[in-house]
Amino acid sequence: MGRPAKTKPLPTGTSRRGFFQRSGGAALALAALPAMALQADTRNSRGSAVFQHGVASGDPLADRVILWTRVTTAQRSAVTVSYIIATDPALVQVVQQGRVKTNPDRDFTVKLDASRLRPGTTYYYRFSALGQDSPVGRTRTASVGATARLRLAVVSCSNHAFGLFNAYRRIAERADIDAVVHLGDYLYEYGPNVYGSLRTPEPPNEMVTLSDYRLRHAQYKRDADSIEMHRQHPLIAIWDDHETTNDSWRDGAQNHQPETEGSWNMRVDVGLQAYYEWMPVRIPDVTKRRENQRSFRFGDLLELVMLEQRLSARSEQLTATVPTPFGNGFVQTGAFADASRQLLGTTQEAWLASILRTTPARWKFLGQGVMFAQLKLQGATLAQGGGVFLNTDQWDGYQPARDRVYDIFKGEATQPAVNNCVVLTGDIHSSWAADLSQDPNNPNIAFGGYDPATGIGSRAVEFVTTSVTSPGVNDPTGSTATLLRSINPHFKYINLTQRGYMLVDVTPQRVVAEWWFVDTVQSISNVQTFDVAFEVQNGNNRLQPSAQTTPPANPPALAP
Amino acid sequence: MQVNPTFSRRGASVAATAVLSLCASLPTQAANITFSGQISFHNDVVQIDFSLAQPATNVRLWTDSWQGGLNFDPLAALWQGAGSDFSLLDQVDDDDTVAPGQGFYDTGFSLPTLAAGNYRITVAAAFNGANGPLLSQGFNYGSEVPILLTEWNQPSFDPNANDQKGGFWRMNLSGVDQASVVPEPAAWQLLLLGLLFGRRLVAPVLARTGVSAPL
Repeated sequence: MGRPAKTKPLPTGTSRRGFFQRSGGAALALAALPAMALQADTRNSRGSAVFQHGVASGDPLADRVILWTRVTTAQRSAVTVSYIIATDPALVQVVQQGRVKTNPDRDFTVKLDASRLRPGTTYYYRFSALGQDSPVGRTRTASVGATARLRLAVVSCSNHAFGLFNAYRRIAERADIDAVVHLGDYLYEYGPNVYGSLRTPEPPNEMVTLSDYRLRHAQYKRDADSIEMHRQHPLIAIWDDHETTNDSWRDGAQNHQPETEGSWNMRVDVGLQAYYEWMPVRIPDVTKRRENQRSFRFGDLLELVMLEQRLSARSEQLTATVPTPFGNGFVQTGAFADASRQLLGTTQEAWLASILRTTPARWKFLGQGVMFAQLKLQGATLAQGGGVFLNTDQWDGYQPARDRVYDIFKGEATQPAVNNCVVLTGDIHSSWAADLSQDPNNPNIAFGGYDPATGIGSRAVEFVTTSVTSPGVNDPTGSTATLLRSINPHFKYINLTQRGYMLVDVTPQRVVAEWWFVDTVQSISNVQTFDVAFEVQNGNNRLQPSAQTTPPANPPALAP
Repeated sequence: MQVNPTFSRRGASVAATAVLSLCASLPTQAANITFSGQISFHNDVVQIDFSLAQPATNVRLWTDSWQGGLNFDPLAALWQGAGSDFSLLDQVDDDDTVAPGQGFYDTGFSLPTLAAGNYRITVAAAFNGANGPLLSQGFNYGSEVPILLTEWNQPSFDPNANDQKGGFWRMNLSGVDQASVVPEPAAWQLLLLGLLFGRRLVAPVLARTGVSAPL
């Protein structure tokens, strides 16, 4: 597998990144301040030499959770790592302790699926090896039975080169959330100054080999803000494209050149090897490493389904050829209407349908990478062809596949409708709230349309979280957002400019999404602001404005 | 020279164990000897006796059967004969520096000098270590209900690979005079022991620890 012989051009075409760059997002990069680059990493006062990548937890189930760390050592032999799990921050009320091992073949990463835990319980843990202790971590198992409330922080697109993870730090400081959901683009593959210049990527080249992927993961895990977020909350993550490379699909990617970078399958293999080594995720089937879809149940309140949309079945993105002011768009004809094209694949579609139809949980979240709602540059009803769409990489480029998911929402001849579905999305470096309709520009409800004033006709809702650092659109007056909303009446909220995270508060009666923004990613800042909240009420399947929620009283203490 | 005994304290393997007890003694002169076999359960313990007629130098004992996680992660203990028991000299979990061909989780001993005497080396699945300084005290997992290796997640396994499910073991001995695999007590031996010493000895001490019957 060879290294790229030339510097990669910036992605072009109809990807969302191209859209953002043409819309002014690149100005953000020009404003970056390299002098600030090292500040974040100096804040990790809790680090030890052995455990310099911190600790992490993830994939909480009712009786178990993944605990993770990494040992840094110069030796080339096995290392035994001991661990302790307790119910108090001081690690006095010990519930488990034991030993695991790691070795160079695992890049000295440590992954433990700690079982026999109690549901809905906060635990504190610590690793020890080579005479040093790790920082104390905090995690929480999923609940069972009647569950009154759940709060999730939702993030995506954390580009180390593009800025500081201030959003991670704000999340780390919150004791009032149960888990962090990362919807992909946890790390980026590019070399220096290709996509972000505030911090220099390690290694200083595009990640292609196993060593490249491991070093890049290591750099991200050494970030002080990342360490704190992982240390305080369990992570539920799904990959998008950049965990391998840009605009990936089953058999290739926009940013993969076989002639210089080797076979795609080999690149996926090494990328996923590093991913599974370095991420606190549970591998569903070691013989099918690309099939990373998993589901997490939080009692009777929530079924969180995490979808794999890149490597297991996705068909290649088609080319958009209809000129628009934002670049080429496309219409839903020809290959775009080919029902054989896949985004999830038949196996995952069946799995998703089964879960949505059978879960006893009231709310069903689809955690996934690319925008589900239609995003048009020219509106039209389905009967008129549907209009001109923007992004071939999101569900718009796979409309028949999306229709099959709508079939689950709506119900079919022998299957009842599935209500209370909420799609959580990342990828697009901006914030959106949408009613989900197959024909949002058709006001005739009786014929499958949608009423933007009442939301009637919506089958589910979508909340899109902005990026942690990756650039959005320079739209300070909101004029671009206003234009997009005028074409796409199902969007109730669009913010194209801010970085941050989303807070999702779930109760049996409603789901509220709050958008929280940091003021900058170019320097260390403690400033965060609440922007807006939208909610969906039980049984309504449509959005309405909401307000900032009140955190629960007396949440479990953060890890010291 | 290699034998391939298949150990089990379960009744199905009694015949094989009996055969092994007759043929597994391998008198040599400072030879290299290799034993290999299969264990089935997480608390099985393989035992190999060896002796030195004279003080020896450069004695090496090592496994090379972990094979990158294809098989269980071994833990070896070296014991010295002490009357009817054995006393623990050392216990090593991981040492891949004893001989070429070892993997990260293989184990072994490099002994520059070793006095004449009778020794026993035990191989168990990590972290089924010795309970105390005497072999008769048994091993950590000795009181646990046996779990098939194929159904057991060894603490050192890799969750990303779901590995270490194989029961193959191989112990190499270099620089010893004579070596033999100690068979697990057969059912008739256990019955006889029960009659002679009382039932309390049979299950908790002998069967679980793998200490051979003093017959």
